[in-house]
Amino acid sequence: MPDLSTPIGLSLIVVALPLVGCLLAALCHVGRAVKLAHLPVIVSFASAAAIACYVLYAVSGQSGDLIQTASLGTWFSSGRLSVPLAFQLDPLSAVMLAMVTFIATFIAIFSASYMHGEAGYARYFAFIALFVFAMCLLVTANNFFVLVAGWEGVGLCSYLLVGYYYAKPSAAAAARKAFLVTRLGDVGLILGIFLLWKAGGYQTNIDAVIRHIAEHPPGDGYMTAACLLLFCGAVGKSAQLPLYVWLPDAMEGPTPVSALIHAATMVTAGVYLLARTAPLFVMSPTAQVVVTIIGGATAVLAAFIALAQYDLKRVLAYSTVSQLGFMFMALGCGAAISPTIAVTAALFHLLTHAFFKALLFLGSGSVMHAMGNVIDMRKFGGLRKLMPTTHWTFLIGSLALAGFPLLSGFWSKDRILHALSEAGYSRSEFHYLYQAVFYTACLTALLTAFYTFRAYFLTFWGEERVPPEAHGHAHESPRTMTIPLVVLAVGAVFVGIIADPLTHWFDHLLERAPVLHQANEAFTKTTNLKVGEHHFDWGVAGLSTLIAVAGIGAAAAVYRRGGPERVPGPLRGIFALSANKAYVDEIYGATVVLPAETAATGGRQLDGFLDALARLVSFVPRFAAAVLRPLQNGLVQFYALGMVLGLAVFITVVVFRSVR
Amino acid sequence: MTPLSNQAFVDHLTASVQFVLPEVALVGVACLLFLVAALRCSRPLAMVVALLGVVGAGVIAALVPEPVGRFEPSLAPIDPTGAASFVRWLALVAAAVYVLLGWADTRTDTPAEYHACLLVAAAGVSLVGRANDLVSLFLALEMLSIPTYVLLYLPSRTRAGQESAMKYFLLSVLSSAVLLFGFSYLYGLAGSTNLHVVVSSLAAAAPHKDLDPAVSPLAAVAMVLVIAGLGFRVAAVPFHFYAPDVYEGGPTGVVAQLAFLPKVAGFVALARLLGVMSAHGGGLPYDTAHTLIPLTLWVVAVVTMSFGNLLALLQDNLKRLFAYSGIAHGGYMLIGVLVACTAPPASADQSGSDALLFYLLAYGLMTVGAFAVLAHLSGPDRHVETVDDLAGLGKTNPLAAAALAVCLFSLIGLPLTAGFVGKLQLFLAAFQVPTDTKMKSLFQVLTVIAVVNAAVSAVYYLRILGVLYLRAPFKPAQPTRTSPQLVAAVACAAATLVLGVYPQPFAEQTRKAAPVVAAR
Repeated sequence: MPDLSTPIGLSLIVVALPLVGCLLAALCHVGRAVKLAHLPVIVSFASAAAIACYVLYAVSGQSGDLIQTASLGTWFSSGRLSVPLAFQLDPLSAVMLAMVTFIATFIAIFSASYMHGEAGYARYFAFIALFVFAMCLLVTANNFFVLVAGWEGVGLCSYLLVGYYYAKPSAAAAARKAFLVTRLGDVGLILGIFLLWKAGGYQTNIDAVIRHIAEHPPGDGYMTAACLLLFCGAVGKSAQLPLYVWLPDAMEGPTPVSALIHAATMVTAGVYLLARTAPLFVMSPTAQVVVTIIGGATAVLAAFIALAQYDLKRVLAYSTVSQLGFMFMALGCGAAISPTIAVTAALFHLLTHAFFKALLFLGSGSVMHAMGNVIDMRKFGGLRKLMPTTHWTFLIGSLALAGFPLLSGFWSKDRILHALSEAGYSRSEFHYLYQAVFYTACLTALLTAFYTFRAYFLTFWGEERVPPEAHGHAHESPRTMTIPLVVLAVGAVFVGIIADPLTHWFDHLLERAPVLHQANEAFTKTTNLKVGEHHFDWGVAGLSTLIAVAGIGAAAAVYRRGGPERVPGPLRGIFALSANKAYVDEIYGATVVLPAETAATGGRQLDGFLDALARLVSFVPRFAAAVLRPLQNGLVQFYALGMVLGLAVFITVVVFRSVR
Repeated sequence: MTPLSNQAFVDHLTASVQFVLPEVALVGVACLLFLVAALRCSRPLAMVVALLGVVGAGVIAALVPEPVGRFEPSLAPIDPTGAASFVRWLALVAAAVYVLLGWADTRTDTPAEYHACLLVAAAGVSLVGRANDLVSLFLALEMLSIPTYVLLYLPSRTRAGQESAMKYFLLSVLSSAVLLFGFSYLYGLAGSTNLHVVVSSLAAAAPHKDLDPAVSPLAAVAMVLVIAGLGFRVAAVPFHFYAPDVYEGGPTGVVAQLAFLPKVAGFVALARLLGVMSAHGGGLPYDTAHTLIPLTLWVVAVVTMSFGNLLALLQDNLKRLFAYSGIAHGGYMLIGVLVACTAPPASADQSGSDALLFYLLAYGLMTVGAFAVLAHLSGPDRHVETVDDLAGLGKTNPLAAAALAVCLFSLIGLPLTAGFVGKLQLFLAAFQVPTDTKMKSLFQVLTVIAVVNAAVSAVYYLRILGVLYLRAPFKPAQPTRTSPQLVAAVACAAATLVLGVYPQPFAEQTRKAAPVVAAR
């Protein structure tokens, strides 16, 4: 047991607090104090966030080796496999921990009003506390299996929360989809972990595996396979091609849950996993370039689909998929330029994205709350006078997402673009691919600015229209909902500029993470290149400013007067393609689901046959039993005879065999 | 030279008392209870006194240090090393649970006698774990058997109860005679009643791998007699006949003892006689260099588990069903005995005997838990006899149903329960035995048979589970009252889950209790 006053001890407290909150909320459910269920959760989140921020402060103030580990004993062991309950704290974990708990606190405060009066109020809070606990466990785990425990916990909670309105068929289907699709990726993750277990000298602690593999590198093919399998897990959890389809449907859950999934927990898990295992990915340039390409393809496809969606939350959901694509694009540059630059860029974007995406989702929740749970942008419009706070905070979130200069999204997106352009001119054998991805990223940025402001204008500009479902009660949301919006908006404006260009605090903190040192060492070993440094590139910054302004301008030109949709004739086809989500669900249906259903039908026929066979087999034990049953006839003299006869048989056999 | 003229022997004999203080305390409290019984002792008083006795014995066991350093294995009649303290704690915890269970069976006028017999039986089990002499071992086994005859008779003086008590008595005496016969052979072969001397001299005389003279037929016959005698206690086929009849007629609390305590005593005694579970390094007397005894155990294990599972399939009576299930689980545990006592250990931390001890613990929790639920549900006005009597329990009695469900899941061997971990350890131990001995791959075949048996057993456990939760209750719901039996049932079920989720500390204890005996 580590000393609880050290940073690692405090971080364990941070992990435990949401669990306590979860149990108390569950008790509220049982103990008929349902209306108070939000209190333990908000208090535990807030105190966890305060402690996590202190831990982050303590870690960044430390000198020397910035990793601390702790083990709470052995979880289980069997043969060669030994799984300690191991935790670690390094800058990576500290940043994630602080971000997750901070965002979750405000989402919980927002939820308290948003979910007011819902059936299952306590259930909701118990689940989000469990959700945050699982995520904290995931980011502090120093053991692959503890990480998987958090990983699966996150998956389970997403199922429970997306399916919160379980009586609604679409919500139940979305929950199932989220669980099953991420499960596909999880299979890869587990397989990858076992490959690493084998290559890592049969250890399961993450740092030990990385160290062992650095000293005894297995073959290139082996590492590529292991890394790609890990990436499979990340693809599922972080909603990348081809497994992104669950995320847009996941907004069937309550809106704050979407904010939690899209901003702080769940989808960032994949990005974190790749950052945590960066030293392994550096050893396989092929795996890295695959990561970049998948990220790029996802980003542009999701941005394209977001162009023509009418559902405000759906636009935001596709934008999350697209922004995660950006993070993976950056992560994939590690083997071409420098792991530090790549991972820092990705995590920086993760951090800023958490703020503005949580803000946008809560903003859309606020709109939905006022509109009587209507979220179709065709049914309302011109809300900027009706809901001024929501409008202003949403505008800030949109500007940050679009990458408008000086807001947080600008700085982090700029770093990703910069990393990609550097990779495009590097001596990597894949540099032309990186170049292609760079142009894709620029195109995606343009689309992002456009669709974000399309949604913004359609919702808040034009003449004021309110759907009948609002029953004339359309008004600004209560304080408890607007205050989180304001706090997150402040974050969305300032986090980027304070953390990076002004103080370089984020850079300095992350570059001292041992995991990045190891990645850098592996990088110099494999490529014989010196580790590059990040520097601000006026060219890329200018380009991205231009793109953002162009996108916003185009959206303003078309949608300034609000709805309804006006599509010029020649573009109708493309618009339909985007509105129908590029027919991806239909393509999956035809290529994956239909053959599977056919196979299932065939399997069912076979099953009938096997069932008959099994019945026949299962008859055998019963038959044998019926034959043996008369032996138990209840007569004690017969029993004694049986015992003695049995003994006699044994002795006879033994004697004859040993004498012979 | 007679033993009495050997001063060292006499010293060790008299010094032995310090290794059995908790057992002395248990028997002392039992005597007190017998005395009080003459003065009409009330039910709660007897229960409290018995519980205090168990706790007192536990305190003595935990606090009074045992001078293990002064123990000389070839002289002392009591051996405090090896599995001794593990078995003692098992017996004490079991005794505490049984005292709680006894609440249901002591409605008659003899509560004090009941609890006194119970304490003596527990002391007997504990002594089996530490007996280092054929005489003390036999005495310990009888200390378990004789109170059980009384216990079977005390609470239920119906015809069925009397019949089951009588059946158990007659057959148990028969098996004790067989066991004693085997002991006399062992004494004759080794020239000593000291267990350590017996095992080492048998091991020294046994054939080695490279030369292949026949094992002495007498040694083999002696061990077959021992297996037959102890086979009655662990209900191994064909010495199992009593089990279903006695279980059906006996009072539930006593049947719960009968399902567990003799199994602990029988398996530990068998393992000790075959040369494991104590600290001596004399080697295994019946290892796979010669296949006679290993094959005998193999056959008994296979027949026992298959027979138990097959006949349980057809049972409607719950107690008979659990009797057959107990027989089947005894078959699984015989795998542990077989691996531990005959096979060269595959690795330093996998010996078979630790798997056996762990399974004993797991089996005790889940079986006693199940019986505790049955005891809780049966009352003077309501008898739970058949599977159908449990219909709809999930609605009328959710807590009891949940406890029973956990125990059943564990008996099936589903993950996150003690039964899963126990089966996994047992089966792994058998599967990892090297195939280059004379047994060839028979151990692996045994594992496969055991796994198939575990699958067959799921049928009858799942049937109960289905009745519990999916059927409508037959009889009107009774108001749920908390009873000591329910406390025992919930505790057993909870412990089953703990053991299944976090088995590591318990597995370490069993590993410590079962030192690996090096191959010769």
